[in-house]
Amino acid sequence: MNSYQKTKLALGVAALMPTFANAQFLHGIVVDRQNQPIANANIRLESGNAQVKTDQSGRFKLPANSGEQEIHIFTKGYAHLHQNIQVPASGLSNQRFELSQSPIEVIDVVAAPVHLSVMESATPVTVLGGETLRRQQAATLGDSLEKLVGVQTNFHGNVASTPIIRGLSGPRVMIAKNGLDVGDVSRTGPDHSIAAEASTSQQIEVLRGPATLFYGSGAIGGVVNVVDKRVPTNNQTTGEWSLEHSTVNDKNLANFNVTSGWNNIAVYADGYWRESDSYEIPVEPGIVENSQEESDGFTLGASYLFDQGYVGVSVEQFNREYGIPGHSHGGEHSDEAESVYADLEQTQVQVLSELNFNNHPLIKKVSTRAAFTDYQHMEIENGQVGTLFDNQNNEIKLEIEHQAFAHWHGGMSLQVKTSEFSAVGDEAFTPASDTDAFALAFMEEKHFDEFLLQLGARVERVEISTDNLLLPSLDMHEHDDGEHDDSDEHSHDHGHEHDETVTRVFDVEQTFTPVSLSTGVVWKFMPGYNFAVSLSHAERAPSAAELMSFGPHIGTGSYEVGALFELVETKGEHSFVLNETPIELETSQNIDLTFRKSEGALGFVFNAFYNQVDNYYYQKTTGLYAEFSHDHDHGDEHDHGDEHDHGDEEAHVDELPVYWMATDDVILKGFEAQVAWQASPALKLTLLSDYVSAELKNGQPLPRTPPLRFVGQVSYSAFGLNTDLDITRYQSQDDVAPNETETDGYTLVNLHFSYDLRVFEQETSLYFSVKNLTDTQARVHSSYLKELAPRPGRDFTIGLRGYF
Amino acid sequence: MQSYLKLKPLAVLISALTLVACGDAETNIVEKDPIEVPDDDHDHNDDHDHGDGYLIDSAGRLVVLSAASNHADVYDLDEISLLKTFSLDSELPALSASAGYRYAMLNYRSADKVNFIDGGLFREDHGDHLHDFEQDPALTDYEVTGSRPTHIVNHDGQTAIFFDGNSETGENAAVIVLTDADISGESSDLATLEYSINMHGVAKPAGDMLVSTVRRSDDENTSNAKVLPDQVAVYHRHDDHFHQEHVFTELCPDLHGAGQQEHHYIFGCSDGVLVAVAEDESFSAVKIDNIDAVGDLRIGTVYAHHDASTAIGVASAHGGGPAVLVTLDAENAQMSEIDWQPLTDATPVAYAFSHDGEHFLILDNQAQLTFLSEQSEGEQNKWVFDERISISDEDVSQMPEGYGFKMTVAQNSDMVYVADPIAQHIIAVDLHDKTTEEVVELNYAPAAITWLGIAEEEEHDHDH
Repeated sequence: MNSYQKTKLALGVAALMPTFANAQFLHGIVVDRQNQPIANANIRLESGNAQVKTDQSGRFKLPANSGEQEIHIFTKGYAHLHQNIQVPASGLSNQRFELSQSPIEVIDVVAAPVHLSVMESATPVTVLGGETLRRQQAATLGDSLEKLVGVQTNFHGNVASTPIIRGLSGPRVMIAKNGLDVGDVSRTGPDHSIAAEASTSQQIEVLRGPATLFYGSGAIGGVVNVVDKRVPTNNQTTGEWSLEHSTVNDKNLANFNVTSGWNNIAVYADGYWRESDSYEIPVEPGIVENSQEESDGFTLGASYLFDQGYVGVSVEQFNREYGIPGHSHGGEHSDEAESVYADLEQTQVQVLSELNFNNHPLIKKVSTRAAFTDYQHMEIENGQVGTLFDNQNNEIKLEIEHQAFAHWHGGMSLQVKTSEFSAVGDEAFTPASDTDAFALAFMEEKHFDEFLLQLGARVERVEISTDNLLLPSLDMHEHDDGEHDDSDEHSHDHGHEHDETVTRVFDVEQTFTPVSLSTGVVWKFMPGYNFAVSLSHAERAPSAAELMSFGPHIGTGSYEVGALFELVETKGEHSFVLNETPIELETSQNIDLTFRKSEGALGFVFNAFYNQVDNYYYQKTTGLYAEFSHDHDHGDEHDHGDEHDHGDEEAHVDELPVYWMATDDVILKGFEAQVAWQASPALKLTLLSDYVSAELKNGQPLPRTPPLRFVGQVSYSAFGLNTDLDITRYQSQDDVAPNETETDGYTLVNLHFSYDLRVFEQETSLYFSVKNLTDTQARVHSSYLKELAPRPGRDFTIGLRGYF
Repeated sequence: MQSYLKLKPLAVLISALTLVACGDAETNIVEKDPIEVPDDDHDHNDDHDHGDGYLIDSAGRLVVLSAASNHADVYDLDEISLLKTFSLDSELPALSASAGYRYAMLNYRSADKVNFIDGGLFREDHGDHLHDFEQDPALTDYEVTGSRPTHIVNHDGQTAIFFDGNSETGENAAVIVLTDADISGESSDLATLEYSINMHGVAKPAGDMLVSTVRRSDDENTSNAKVLPDQVAVYHRHDDHFHQEHVFTELCPDLHGAGQQEHHYIFGCSDGVLVAVAEDESFSAVKIDNIDAVGDLRIGTVYAHHDASTAIGVASAHGGGPAVLVTLDAENAQMSEIDWQPLTDATPVAYAFSHDGEHFLILDNQAQLTFLSEQSEGEQNKWVFDERISISDEDVSQMPEGYGFKMTVAQNSDMVYVADPIAQHIIAVDLHDKTTEEVVELNYAPAAITWLGIAEEEEHDHDH
């Protein structure tokens, strides 16, 4: 960014500065350890809302009330500085603030009432932003985030990968956009893509471990929040664009985002378009069929900026069409080539607002966030809509931050969320249901000398209801010796007998009141080091799908039965009945320990965690198989009355293993480590490792738990050329669940070059990368498609990216 | 809707309150009337008698074309309300329903394309239950293109569009077979039979098989008009194309019109009808010669219904005029005249089977709807005059130029809808009670109508 633009930036920020009646000014300079001025550093007072940036000489001027003030200074490449200063009535000038280098990138989580960053908070947080985000972004959120410590992907054939945080995913990891529920159906099936796009985002925040405090019941395993600038908070003209091509799947990507405005109006637009073919793999058959993808989307936003804040609205249209590899119907028919693809569409309106009260005795800031989401997702089999998922999601979040009270910072949050979900078709394994949630939360923090204490509590009411819970009579059988004789064991086709199958129907109203509590301490026991402990109690209401499912789920290749049902055996016959034991909340007790070195050429963060989860909802294998007929030629079959036997030949009966949603106690434990060494201004080395063990209390491992992983990264920047070499080693996974197979380890090597160009006075970079340089066969243990869809083979990418 | 939806609590099974740590959970479950599905593969009618909540009881929808303003209106026959109006291309298309009655097919012959209006009512088979959908009508983006689409034939869930080709532009004939699923999925690889010559032909789809016409070289072709084929062949589908499997040697000069009964495929020829039999791997054919009653005319249209044991052939001069109707008994290779007792000057303008095959309906230019019924005479079945009702009180001489009465048959009831361009309305004829009633009043002369909706049974209407 050139100096002209920076001045504009500073002015733009200044325009947002609140007007202070009788305000004093704090003048200062920000320097590094070598006493060199740091330009473009952000300075903020915790008691107010003003934020300014330093100029080229590292200087800044900030309005400040007299008295003791806590100042917060942060910028890329340096550790955040928190310092208390006394501001006299006459103001202060020439204050000197020294920042320490930090080789671990520190980006704050936006819009949280307490501090959340990789280096400062009691709970572990990672924020992916800037160039690192651009380098790691992929077509799916899971693949975009998989380089983050503690996060892996469930790699679903390049098309629908979802992040796994510390071994947990699905309904335990919440996906949000600008802090609001993404509103898709990605939590109910691994083949359902997440309706969020990394390429137009500004940063992606990951909270590892229970984040129910901030995000509610669905966040017991963590949160991924995709943040963009759709509701702009300033109106200087900035933007970004890129064009990219990759070889392994012939992918083309184009995207842009731009913010601008005039007077008090700020406007924003982004858009992207991506198209890819099925991707190549280094093993037979050379390609993962039906893994193509086509996406496009745009977002338009506008906001009104005023002295005390802003209010804005945005609308996003998100379209994605992707093949579903391995979408076969039971084992016996998997060699039939079926073209199954998903067509996903989402429209989301977000209304965001922030109102600052500088002189109000109690309230410092009121933030309002609302999202209204209309989501539809069709699974199309042989040209016919097999299943139609529909989700209408509305959410309003009100956050009120209070003025510092005896140095306590924090606030309360009120949240209302409603979701109307329906699925019709072959894969409609869950009845249409409504979920309504209301939550109240408090978060507070205070610095006591070298201690930071963070506290939080949240109580929520979740109501899940359906008027159409179905309990069909299901033909199930065991596989004895790998052989079974249909006609003997089960009574599904009795020629001309007029059997009646009865499906029981229920009206269900399920109410939960989950409560979450958390306390954490960060102890800066010596300069540049801290140690953090976080203790939390988190509760989760099981999702509608976990409770009410009863049907074939093609995405997981199983027949799923929810927790509202129970498997019973009478006279050797298995059947499902209504579960008469109480439905309970999933409850976890968690300890998180963090040890950090936040300053100097060498930085590190070590986390260890231990979560004991009671009533963990999981799919328990029953050893039974269910038949379901899947008619691909809807409505065309008919018998002519005189030929009664040919009806049986036409019936297409598949069988699927039956999984029942059981609860058990689970222990999750593991660690994450990241060490970064800025060896010279040009050279940085980073080592990461993570591990999770997820077992039932009886020692039986949970399925699809990611293996131990090591990552080594070397970054070298000189003469405008940035080189990044990433080597990732996935160890083999032999902690496997029953019926699960072990997975071999593998090593992936990625290389990325980018060269900074200046074109038309704009910052532009040309980049080139090779992923899976060694063309290694890499099967992902945490993937449902491990056997069918290994990771892509060697992939060359070339692209051009510009900022203005 | 079905009765079980009127929440009828049978028993409160569970009401549990549990305290877990500090949170709690409460479950309330009320059982309602169950869904009972008779497990009977051989009786399709039963699907409609039990309420499983997925079925929609709807009279259906009507698509009405206006030639004057080139638009299509879609009416809801339950509420009798106009749901949607779609603008059409400048050429007035030929209108028909798709094989599954979900779509209206708009055949723009000279523009070389077929477009589709999604009627919005359709049924899916979800394995354990049938699932009906009711959506807004929509003009789809989907388009099937080819040179001069002409005869469109539905059978057993499939539609065969015969593209005649164009000798002037050197375009050859082709047949495209598609289903409603292909239309909804906007399929790009429809099964296609491509000829190396143009012809005015016709094709009958049946599962993977297609029985279609063959035009031989002009020196071999026995047709007077060489654009008409004189042979029939069986083709088998292989993914997106068809292979010729058998050519029937029996000739059918000036072949025009086809009907199908079970494994019998009946084609109209200038000297009689050709009955081709294709069952599994065995093929045979027999010719039924014209009877005297046919006279100088030739059978150019054949109607068949799977619930009727015999078919009906219509012999008339090209472009209308007096018609001779014959019963075609394909199995016994016999043809006999039908005395349909027309009024003086009556010229049929539309024919159709009632949806259950019980009646054959003849709508004529004198505003009369004639009902034929099938009767057995000894070993033989024949179609005979049953009843005639008037469908309009208007002076039929006031019929606007280029218009005529049109009819369409509901596939889930005894209703037939007749468009009256003079009165500018649409009436419903109850085939059971033989009563008529105005259902839609229009402010334009209807040019064509077709019924869309959820058919009660499999569709076997073999007219074209």
